[in-house]
Amino acid sequence: MSLARFMAILGGLVLTCLILLTCISVLGRGINTFLHSGMMQNTMPGLADTLLGTGVGPVLGDYELVEAGIAFSIFAFLPFCQITAGHATVDIFTSRLSVKVNRFIQMVVEIVFAVVLIVIAMRLYEGMMAKMGLKDTPAILKLFGDKGGLFMSETSQLLQFPLWWAYGLSLIAAIVAATVGVYMAFVRIGEFFSNRTVVESAGVDH
Amino acid sequence: MTNFEIGLTSFPVLLLLIFLRVPIGLSMFLVGMFGLYLVTGGWNVALARLKSETYGTFSSYSLSIVPMFLLMGHFATLGGMSTALFKAAESWLGHRRGGVAMAAVGACAGFGSICGSSLATAATMSQVALPELRRYGYSGGFSTATLAAGGTLGILIPPSVILVIYAILTEQNIAKLFLAAFIPGLLAAIGYIITISIYVRIHPDAAGTREPIPYGERFRALADVWPVLVVFLLVVGGIYLGWFTPTEGAAVGAFGTGLIALLNGGLNRASFIESFLATGRSTGMIFFIVLGAAFYNGFLALTQVPQELASYVTSLGFSPWVVLAIILALYLVFGCVMDSLSMILLTIPIFFPIISTLDFGLTPEETAIWFGIIVLIVVEVGLITPPVGMNLFVINSMDRTTPMVATYRAVMYFVASDVVRVIILVAFPSITLFLLRALH
Repeated sequence: MSLARFMAILGGLVLTCLILLTCISVLGRGINTFLHSGMMQNTMPGLADTLLGTGVGPVLGDYELVEAGIAFSIFAFLPFCQITAGHATVDIFTSRLSVKVNRFIQMVVEIVFAVVLIVIAMRLYEGMMAKMGLKDTPAILKLFGDKGGLFMSETSQLLQFPLWWAYGLSLIAAIVAATVGVYMAFVRIGEFFSNRTVVESAGVDH
Repeated sequence: MTNFEIGLTSFPVLLLLIFLRVPIGLSMFLVGMFGLYLVTGGWNVALARLKSETYGTFSSYSLSIVPMFLLMGHFATLGGMSTALFKAAESWLGHRRGGVAMAAVGACAGFGSICGSSLATAATMSQVALPELRRYGYSGGFSTATLAAGGTLGILIPPSVILVIYAILTEQNIAKLFLAAFIPGLLAAIGYIITISIYVRIHPDAAGTREPIPYGERFRALADVWPVLVVFLLVVGGIYLGWFTPTEGAAVGAFGTGLIALLNGGLNRASFIESFLATGRSTGMIFFIVLGAAFYNGFLALTQVPQELASYVTSLGFSPWVVLAIILALYLVFGCVMDSLSMILLTIPIFFPIISTLDFGLTPEETAIWFGIIVLIVVEVGLITPPVGMNLFVINSMDRTTPMVATYRAVMYFVASDVVRVIILVAFPSITLFLLRALH
């Protein structure tokens, strides 16, 4: 529970940073455009150019950072959504069924969900390996056998940071999500066999 | 089985899973994966797609607007803006017959202009307005129904999370959709205010009265809401004028709203964490549905079902208006049981190709925008339609003294107002498209 909370807060902090970054970028671009504008160039060219000389302008590669950061945020939000049973469901039909049947359905759903989250994390790992240029040989072997720096790792266009960094960050969050998924599956199995409710499945709010 | 048959069979299977309470995103994901397995004859394609598609979906620049708008909405909730908006609207309208309820609708519209979600608007405004309504002698059912209906303005008046998703699915311009949603949103608010004045004439005992407030105080209350107006104009105007991309607009809006909340003293460490958690929960839910939909729609596209269906419907030779009416009726029915976002993600890839082959006398872009706005309204009607509308439950649970049935009875007036509005907007596309045409 606290792990999921921690990840969600971390995701929120990253989201906030991205928001600030984007605002700074917008502001920088705005000032840059203003300084290049006819009015500024005609009335006080010296000042305008001095200010432009400081390099004021949009943040380089802000798109790339947003894309990488937002992916981490969303993966980091998944565990909290999972553990608070926040996924959207339609329950008007099952609400007529008995509590026992509902517990059974929830148990099966959580088990399948856990499997899906594990598969997603595993495939994300494969994706990361592909971005590192380690496609075909076992990853560990390549990591240690290829010390000559022959990686063909894919990088982002502007900032040139290796894309697998972004994948790697997301992977950590995805592993937490899978772990929480497995935990929830056990919770539901326990609920089914002991006939007690541990985690209330609340309605959606969005 | 041919691929086409597999595609068709996937609908009932998917619905069955959803009705068995399998989370909607998970259902779409499973059916999509299994469908890909059947169509391509092995797991390779499905697994290969999974390698990059999850990251690809979550790292989408245009979708990053969604968590930003959600966070903005939570900041707005914490920043006391709902109170300021309600006070301002109430000081101007409160002394009229049904005026406090009208003020609640007005405040919902104002709050909707900085919050992109319907339930959040309804829930936030209820905390402020529900006690006031009861204090001035408004009946319980009438009060809860007003707020449930007012909440739907949150999604209609831009920024709107669902319009963002629609824009991405149909490759339309987000700025233009926001612009087109403006007049229908305003019409909705006016329609609800008219509904309230009719309701209090039919049920005179449902609303109390209050002395008018002096003008000086009214203007002072109005002065408190200017930050909301600034944020709204900056975000929507800036996106529209091309000062920034929609994502940048969302970031600016979230920053501005956060700043206002901070200055109002609404944000401290605990409430920051609270808004992160709430944003995280809805974001996780939304993106899992988006992911499931990406897989399901990828599979459907392989089976050619959307194209085949579209050409089949065209070959039937029905009038475009009949087809549109049937589609809207389907949305109304499903809107009662499913949340709007899942519905849009599930149905637009199927219905949109059909709509775009039909001739309504509009350009393709105009058709897409007009259809999007109408679908948005119709799915929102589902949120307040008894007996299952989600807004009704949320608001009713906030006022323990009011029985559900009382809310049901009163909300039917608002549903009627919605239906009238949908008919008007369908019959006259130029109302929705007016701002768009005027400004281009």
